[in-house]
Amino acid sequence: MSFFDALKFRIRAITRPGEHAREMDEEMDFHLDRDAAQIAHDTAGAEDADDARWAARRRFGNRTLHAEEARAASGLGWLELLGQDLRFALRTFRRAPGFTVVAVLTLALGIGANTAIFSAVNALLLRPLPFPQPRRLMSVSLTVPRRGNFPPRDDVNWSWPKFETLRGMQHVFAQATLWYPEPFTIRHGDQTLRDQGEYTDDGYLTTLGVRPALGRNFTAEEGTRYNAGHVALISDALWQRLYDADRRVLGQTVTVNGLPFTIVGVLPPGFQGLSGQALLWLPAMTSSNPRAEAPGPYDHRFLAIARLADGVSPEQAAAVVATVGARIDAAYPDQNGQGWHWGATAKPLDQARVDPRVRSTLLVLFGAVGLVLLIACANVANLFLARASGRRKEIAVRIALGAGRRRLVEQLLTESVLLGVTGGVVGLGLAWAGTRGLASLQLSSVLQGNGGAVIGTLGSQAIRLDPWALLFTLALGIVTGVVFGLVPALQATRPSLTEDLKDDGGPGSRRFGGLGSRNVLVAAEIALAVVLLAGAGLVLRSLGRRMGVDLGFDAGHTLTFRVNRAPEWAPDSITRFYELAIQRLAELPGVTAAGMTDCPPLVQCAGTLINLMDRPAAAPGTEPLAGVHWITPGWTQVEHIPLLRGRLLDERDRVGTPMSVLVNATAARRWWPGQDPIGKVLGQSRTAGGGLDSAFVVGVVGDVRYQGVDSLPGADVYLSYYQVPFYYRMMLFVRTRGDPLALAGPARATMARWAPGFPVYDVRTMEDRVGQSLAYSRLGALLLGLFAAVALALAAIGTYGVIAYSVAQRTREIGIRVALGASGADVAGMVVRRGLVLGAVGGGIGLVVALAVTRVLGSLLYEVAPRDPLTLAAIVTVLAVVVLAASWIPARRAASVPAVEALKS
Amino acid sequence: MARTAKSPRTELLRGTLDLLILQTLTIRPLHGYGIAQHIARLSEDALSVEQGSLYPALERLQARGWVTSKWEPSPTGRRARYYTITRSGEHQLGEEISALDAVVLAINRVLRRA
Repeated sequence: MSFFDALKFRIRAITRPGEHAREMDEEMDFHLDRDAAQIAHDTAGAEDADDARWAARRRFGNRTLHAEEARAASGLGWLELLGQDLRFALRTFRRAPGFTVVAVLTLALGIGANTAIFSAVNALLLRPLPFPQPRRLMSVSLTVPRRGNFPPRDDVNWSWPKFETLRGMQHVFAQATLWYPEPFTIRHGDQTLRDQGEYTDDGYLTTLGVRPALGRNFTAEEGTRYNAGHVALISDALWQRLYDADRRVLGQTVTVNGLPFTIVGVLPPGFQGLSGQALLWLPAMTSSNPRAEAPGPYDHRFLAIARLADGVSPEQAAAVVATVGARIDAAYPDQNGQGWHWGATAKPLDQARVDPRVRSTLLVLFGAVGLVLLIACANVANLFLARASGRRKEIAVRIALGAGRRRLVEQLLTESVLLGVTGGVVGLGLAWAGTRGLASLQLSSVLQGNGGAVIGTLGSQAIRLDPWALLFTLALGIVTGVVFGLVPALQATRPSLTEDLKDDGGPGSRRFGGLGSRNVLVAAEIALAVVLLAGAGLVLRSLGRRMGVDLGFDAGHTLTFRVNRAPEWAPDSITRFYELAIQRLAELPGVTAAGMTDCPPLVQCAGTLINLMDRPAAAPGTEPLAGVHWITPGWTQVEHIPLLRGRLLDERDRVGTPMSVLVNATAARRWWPGQDPIGKVLGQSRTAGGGLDSAFVVGVVGDVRYQGVDSLPGADVYLSYYQVPFYYRMMLFVRTRGDPLALAGPARATMARWAPGFPVYDVRTMEDRVGQSLAYSRLGALLLGLFAAVALALAAIGTYGVIAYSVAQRTREIGIRVALGASGADVAGMVVRRGLVLGAVGGGIGLVVALAVTRVLGSLLYEVAPRDPLTLAAIVTVLAVVVLAASWIPARRAASVPAVEALKS
Repeated sequence: MARTAKSPRTELLRGTLDLLILQTLTIRPLHGYGIAQHIARLSEDALSVEQGSLYPALERLQARGWVTSKWEPSPTGRRARYYTITRSGEHQLGEEISALDAVVLAINRVLRRA
């Protein structure tokens, strides 16, 4: 029964705390009265009743403390104490609403920003991939050594035959699959979508461990045999969008790229493939795929994923893959005949999932936002210290009345943790907005535009406020509360009773002691802000450098878009289609010119090795590399790429006439230094296939930075699309007089009239594309700049606070100085000097730290040294101005102190 | 009374107060003051320091279910809270006495050999 006795006791102690406390009181009264009576009796009246009562009290000890300890001992009494502390804290906050609002908002800012960045870190770097046993999944790739101008790579795609060889020669993988992303035109009824899909085989879903929510996977036959079935799997999103989530979708037909496919399965909600954005999957071996038939051993377009067999470690698998890679190289040697040996490698999918630059940027931002939170904490700690000195007397009285120091610290910490958690909750609003913003970034296209790798399995849409983020916020709120609350709490409860009890609480009566830790906090704030400013300054300067780069073409007033081609059209009719389309577009009112290219700026496209006919063939491996651009003759004019020599491509360059080619300035300089390039002959190198031979250079045009601002222009050649009609994925360019987007509607209408059912997609201005290519560095600069601005503002507020406080504390001293003849300027100077000393100490420390850590910025920097003196000088200036401003206001107040009043107080 | 503040006996009391209370209650139900008097008398005032610290101990014993309490009229007529030892309290007392005996025995052995 004792268990129930105990339980009953505890429940009563919690549920009826008032009664419990009254009983304890009564019991102690009884004790004291009886003891007093006993003492009176023992001394036989020698002591009077009062003396006896005092003696009993002394024997009893610290009654308040005993009662409190008793309450704590009653088991769950801490809950009651916590409730008490919380109520007390709330009362305290209600009495000081200004203080509370400032503290909560400061913390909300810090914690909210941290939660937002944490969500991104969690989604992109930490959260396990959304597949069963994600750590058993490996990304398998080919490797190539350095070849001439190409750097070595370890992320090369597979060809079908090479991967078949790998599959047959290892037992380390339980399953392996090939896939690649491809945009599809999807039509159902009268709806047409141009969206991302994937080509794959029957092992894709089983390797990942994903089961169709409805229907079935591809069969082995459909997955691997040419044209075995016109079947398709669709995503949950597409099912909702085109079929209203109708379960009778199985067996229905969907038209992809103009061909009918039978839907055999619907995948579970949220699954978007390894590309992270797929809506539809087709077997790689269907005839809708123009490259499906007999995929050759050098047709490297497949990405490979494999699941480790039981008991095999990733390292073992990588070793086996490397061994098999050598055999594959022996079976399919490099075609250049250079003795270049390819290989194969495997690494955990988890590591390959995010572009390393995204990883480093995220970590930099995470660090930066952590510093912001530290500064916010320092600020709130300062507020607490200022307030604690106001409450000194209250606390001294409570200590004198017997409050234990532990209890007081507990109670003060309850206040600060409550503030911290409230800040966190308020900050969730900010975090929500922040995560929405981050999630809406098209990170993959941002990186693509910048010449980087695609984020594979995880897009930014994975960034959201999940339970982990909420937990993180809560933990941050609590930790923050302890961090900024502990020092003030310990300091406030330092037992130095007499001095505080004597304190009349008036200005000037306080000693200067409490200011020491406040000065340290503010100096630390300034130092942290300087570190952030340095980072932001460097990144902003890099952005400026990037934006100032001349890309070599005029992005203004240009509308660009792509048109999906009709698969069944013959090459000559597609040429005709494009030619007429461009004519019609050029005739639109407001349009000055129209053209197209297969390899526009800021899009990754293949280059080729060049053979220069005016000299002996270069040794294989030393042939020059050039970007190849198939354009309509007017395209260079549309983009205002200057003609430097000779003529442009024009109507003369048709099928049947000798091939004409334009080279850019870099190519002319590299290939024919000091010579006139006009009339020179070049072809495609034999090692690169030799498809194009003897084209005559007719002109030289200006350089264009095709890969974006971060890479210098290379050699480029331009050929007329009309001379070699072919299937290319073209981008159309329309130069306009006014706002290019105003032409989007008419251009669409023209295309729709010209070729109904062939969707125009990816309609954007060229400026937008250029902006997108800078989005990555702009994002880094924006966020770092924002954090630095917040940090600076917080540091300024902190400086202002501590200076203003010191002025208030020294009013009497200032009065004496003024009375003794100090001028207002003297007094103001004294105050400002104090601010400058703080700024110099904090700023100095900050600069030293900044010099040590700015190297982590890595790829965020562009043509700016991590210790760029100009940036650092600018920061010192900004800091000096801010510190001056923050101390100027209290300085003016100090200067206007009337001596008499100050002395009277 | 100043001598009580830092007396080494305080330390002793902390460890064994629970034991003494339980032992006291085996005689008969008592109120807090009665328990304090009893302990003080039997230990010849050596353990009478800070009588108030008895109350946290009583709360603790109740929370563990070793002691229960009831309000009853005292001989003076004023009501007082009487504490009773429970069955598990008696069991606990037995265990603690054995443990204490073992420690005392061990200490004695050491002292005799030293």
